[in-house]
Amino acid sequence: MSKKAQLRFSILRGFVAILIALLVAAVLVFISADGATIGAKLSSTGDAMLNMLVRPLWGKKGFAAKNFTDILAAMIPIIFTSLAACVMFAANQFNLGGEGGIMLGAFMASMVAVYLPLPTGLHLVVALIVASVSVGIMMLIPAVLKAKLGVSEMVCSLMLNSIIMYIINYLMNTSLADKSKGQVMSYDFLPTAILPPLVDNGSKLSWGFVIALVFIVLTSIFIYRTRWGYAIRMIGINQDFATYSGIKVGLIIVLSQVIGGLLAGLGGGIEMLGRYTNYQWKALPGYGWTGITVACIAGNNPIMVLFAAFFMAYLDKGCNLMATYCNVPAQLIDIIQGVVFVFFAAEQFLAGYRQKQVVKAAKAEIEAMNKAGKEGER
Amino acid sequence: MSTLLSSIMTTGFFYSIIRITSPILFATLGAVIVEKAGISNIGLDGTMMISALFGSLTTYWSGSWIVGLLVALVVGVLVSLLMGLFAFNLKTDIILVGIAINMIGSGGTLFLVKVLTQLSEGKSMASTTSLITKAHQIPVWNIPLVKDIPVIGSVVSGHSILTYVAFLFVFLTWVMLYKMPIGLNLRSVGENPNAASSVGVSVMKMRYIAIALSGLMAGFGGAFMSMSYAMGWSQDMVAGRGFIALAAQAMGSGEPLGSMFAAILFGFAQALGIKFSSIGVDSNLASPIPYLVTIIGLVIFAIAKRNKEAKRRKMKAA
Repeated sequence: MSKKAQLRFSILRGFVAILIALLVAAVLVFISADGATIGAKLSSTGDAMLNMLVRPLWGKKGFAAKNFTDILAAMIPIIFTSLAACVMFAANQFNLGGEGGIMLGAFMASMVAVYLPLPTGLHLVVALIVASVSVGIMMLIPAVLKAKLGVSEMVCSLMLNSIIMYIINYLMNTSLADKSKGQVMSYDFLPTAILPPLVDNGSKLSWGFVIALVFIVLTSIFIYRTRWGYAIRMIGINQDFATYSGIKVGLIIVLSQVIGGLLAGLGGGIEMLGRYTNYQWKALPGYGWTGITVACIAGNNPIMVLFAAFFMAYLDKGCNLMATYCNVPAQLIDIIQGVVFVFFAAEQFLAGYRQKQVVKAAKAEIEAMNKAGKEGER
Repeated sequence: MSTLLSSIMTTGFFYSIIRITSPILFATLGAVIVEKAGISNIGLDGTMMISALFGSLTTYWSGSWIVGLLVALVVGVLVSLLMGLFAFNLKTDIILVGIAINMIGSGGTLFLVKVLTQLSEGKSMASTTSLITKAHQIPVWNIPLVKDIPVIGSVVSGHSILTYVAFLFVFLTWVMLYKMPIGLNLRSVGENPNAASSVGVSVMKMRYIAIALSGLMAGFGGAFMSMSYAMGWSQDMVAGRGFIALAAQAMGSGEPLGSMFAAILFGFAQALGIKFSSIGVDSNLASPIPYLVTIIGLVIFAIAKRNKEAKRRKMKAA
């Protein structure tokens, strides 16, 4: 199959996967829609789907700029968790610690932002580095246990997520909370640590978005243009072969997860300092899971993460609008996400169609060769 | 410390270990069966959530816990078969299918409960607790005669019927895996699918059976969570028990009895956590104990396994 046909096939496949997910969503919305008769239900379903699919960018008054920047802002943490997932999954390391990682990163950045006065500029950089490095260190736990002892990094990282959440909550409740506030929140960040907004329209679209774009490029270069990235991909494709060809498998397993941690932690720091003025998360934020979905849609390719993250952030915004205006719970996004996810991950999905295309292309080729041969005889 | 010891050495504490172990044990058995066939079902957690929801809701609608339990089991099996369809027929990585099921299990169930019951007490407070009364719960069994034995009676008797079923299943799983033809086929598929296929075992069929059985177990576990452990379904109520079960399976080296003891260890850790918070330790410090024990347990198990292998190699060399 030619490269062009391959691309055409993957686009078609993605399109069908998304279509199926939206169909499932439509059925669920139909069940939950208001209305006594089927006709009324259908019309409110249509209304809800309109809100979900079109309204995020095209409001009743044309292009919705505020929604657009909202979506871009929502992409920031997702891009980082999905880059983390890309690196780890490319090495076949199913580390699910992005969720705890982003929370720990956000928390560590907040602590630096509140308690460590530094000059403007330097303060922000130090806060983000601390966030990133602390999660990199945290990921050493599942990574080293996997490389040295063969402990499942999946179970280990999942358990770590919960442990991190409880310990951060404990620290917040007991000693770090600002008692003058009604809720459990930290003291306000020092102004030197705030990540400035890119567009000042209340969307919370910070310069973090630009940093995210830079890291998409950096991660892409890392995976496809360095020997470390090559080793990571090689382990993901065939670990035994990698071992025999002299790659230090244990080291690369650790490396991939630590880099994943660095990325997730940085994302947490950026999200916290770009969006909030004090630390106030009480539960795991869910970005880790969305990041895994995005990485899967993007086929672990960092450049594609940009588009996949936009897609998920768009749908999320759509689901929120739908929840606001049409009384359909916003958690519909989780079901859509799950359905899109499995269809993208399904290798054999539409394989029959691909097979037919391959056969057709081969037949055409043989025919062309025969024709050329006959012409040659003449 | 003495207050802690005195509150641990009570019959109530041991009773609570057994109660807390039950849902973990169901999920663990599910993990044991499916791993024997060479499949990692990490969707157990999400499956339990979905089963717990439908079990609780149908109990409310029908007024009968038997109907609720059956629906929970059927839902568990259906979810697993769906996983199987994606994993075996569409060649999706089983880990990714599991992640998807867990996503649906945590957020999707909240969507469903809001849609199906029209309940929405704030964004995070949706649960079926307000619908459920004591009559909807799975009944307890006060074992005749045993219940009158001092100490042992109050620990062993008076549990939910499903608790006894869970421990019975440990035995039944062992019988199925080692004393029945189906178990032999299942294990052969897990050990070497090509060899199994060459002697006429349908690999696909055995894999479907294995994952369906693990779904059945998750169904029991989910039903226990929403119909016995707690009054009704609430968000994220399974709280990682499906993952703890995977750890228990690994620690028990995939054998039903060993995994049962690992599950009891986690039950103990969780009961201890609850006790800690009842004597005034911050619940945020007590709650992560079972997760911490899981990691430590996995490490100890891995070291023990490595030493055993090293010893075997040495013996071979000698």
